[in-house]
Amino acid sequence: MSRLYGSRQALSDVDVGLHPGELTFLVGPSGAGKTTLLKLINREIRPTAGEVWVAGMPAHRLKPSHVAQLRRRVGVVFQDYKLLPRLTALENVAFALQAADLRVSGAEAAERSLDALEAVGLGDRGGAFPSQLSGGQQQRVAIARAVVAQPAVLIADEPTGNLDQETALEIMDLFEDIAAWGTAVLVATHNIEIVTRLQRRVVTLVDGRLVRDQPAGQTGRMAWLATS
Amino acid sequence: MAGDVVKPRFPRRHLVRVVAANLVRCLFRDAARSWGRNIGATAPALGSMTLLLLMAGLVGLTGFALHNLEQQQAAQASLLHVYLRDDAAYQDVVTLWNQLEADARVARVTYISKDEALARAQSIPGLPALANASESNPFPASLDVQVRNIKDVGAIDAIARKSSLVDPLFPTSYDRGAYARIQAILFGLAVAGFAFVALLGFVAVTVTMNSIKAAIHSRHDEITIMQLVGAPRWMVRGPFVVEGAITGAVAGIVAGAVTFGLAMAGIAGGASSFTQFAPGVTAAVAAIAAGIVLGAGLALGSGSSMLSLRRHMES
Repeated sequence: MSRLYGSRQALSDVDVGLHPGELTFLVGPSGAGKTTLLKLINREIRPTAGEVWVAGMPAHRLKPSHVAQLRRRVGVVFQDYKLLPRLTALENVAFALQAADLRVSGAEAAERSLDALEAVGLGDRGGAFPSQLSGGQQQRVAIARAVVAQPAVLIADEPTGNLDQETALEIMDLFEDIAAWGTAVLVATHNIEIVTRLQRRVVTLVDGRLVRDQPAGQTGRMAWLATS
Repeated sequence: MAGDVVKPRFPRRHLVRVVAANLVRCLFRDAARSWGRNIGATAPALGSMTLLLLMAGLVGLTGFALHNLEQQQAAQASLLHVYLRDDAAYQDVVTLWNQLEADARVARVTYISKDEALARAQSIPGLPALANASESNPFPASLDVQVRNIKDVGAIDAIARKSSLVDPLFPTSYDRGAYARIQAILFGLAVAGFAFVALLGFVAVTVTMNSIKAAIHSRHDEITIMQLVGAPRWMVRGPFVVEGAITGAVAGIVAGAVTFGLAMAGIAGGASSFTQFAPGVTAAVAAIAAGIVLGAGLALGSGSSMLSLRRHMES
């Protein structure tokens, strides 16, 4: 797939596939096209050329009225968490669940949201507002919100950018767990230390081009990334 | 049976109830809460829309009264009063009466005696004083000729004037062009009223669109999250349309109540003169006007919101 912003080539002939149960890191310098690739997967934008298939749906030619269907199969995690400050942690998760599916009752949403919060280690903080939680805890709530509807794909854009190294590792452990449940997880990150430590598949973009696609266990020390 | 998983059918009634509850929550409860939270930002839209609807209601009632007035004028203009000399013999009057009634262009002819003319004058506001000022009866007897088509009034007038029974100073009530002048005035008033309401409408729609734009910006994160988790477009946009409709409904209720109140005050305050100047405006008409104002408020509020959403919200 390719994507142009005006005359600037944000992505050029990138061909990449994500697999269920696999955690993939998306790395590259700023402006390499990482966020553009995530936006293409979530159909926030369309490719200028090429195709984007997400869980069997053609995101590249999806009508606006069908975008919601695709997004129910994609969980999204942001660097700044994007939690609603006037809702508690539990309500934030339940809000996403019920916004995506009207058939979910309030009781069911609460139950499933609590399960999701327990899965990310925050079962006892459901009643807390975002302002009462640390950055790492807020990101856990955001992850619970992203996975509560059991999406086929989870994309995360710099999810550890605002967190210390220890918390970042905990968040990455969560992503590993989510991938282990069968979800295809794609994490865009600048955190080379974590990428090196986890030894998962790494897709590298530079200037909108796919320059490396290293399978899990073969990423080495990735020293080259610091200079790319 | 061991090992078989039995999955009971999800009760349809329960599902319908859950969906309905979620719809009410997402569309109406959240919209009402948000409207209450953003009342400060909504106030200018509410004010301008209330003013527009009030003016529209009053202009509408005035237009209705003017329309009735125009109908009355048309009926009066096609009624030709042929004033008779005081010394005209009744037998001669009957001859003229029969002559006019025989004309195919005439619907009917009625004889009004001097006493009946005086009684009629006393029922018209302003005239009793004039009628009582004179010791003798100043009003002449007349033949009231109802002409079928207003265009033929001139021709019937010409026939009547030829009779020697007709008062030489004021032969008939015919005033060439009077009806046309009234029509021109009423048309001018209608155009001015329409332009005024259209201008107010433009202002109200613009202000409402801006208030919805402000609401969209204030809930940007919420909208983003809803869009990203796969909320359908109608669920993202619906609450804003409902918010606009609430603004319109509140404005409509206030404006409708004031319109109704003013009309009722007019009816109760000056019964005779009011019906003279605003014919046809009754309590029922005022209530209907208030209802239309409320409906217009709902349509205006939700319509402005939809326009604003189309402009300011990404799909």
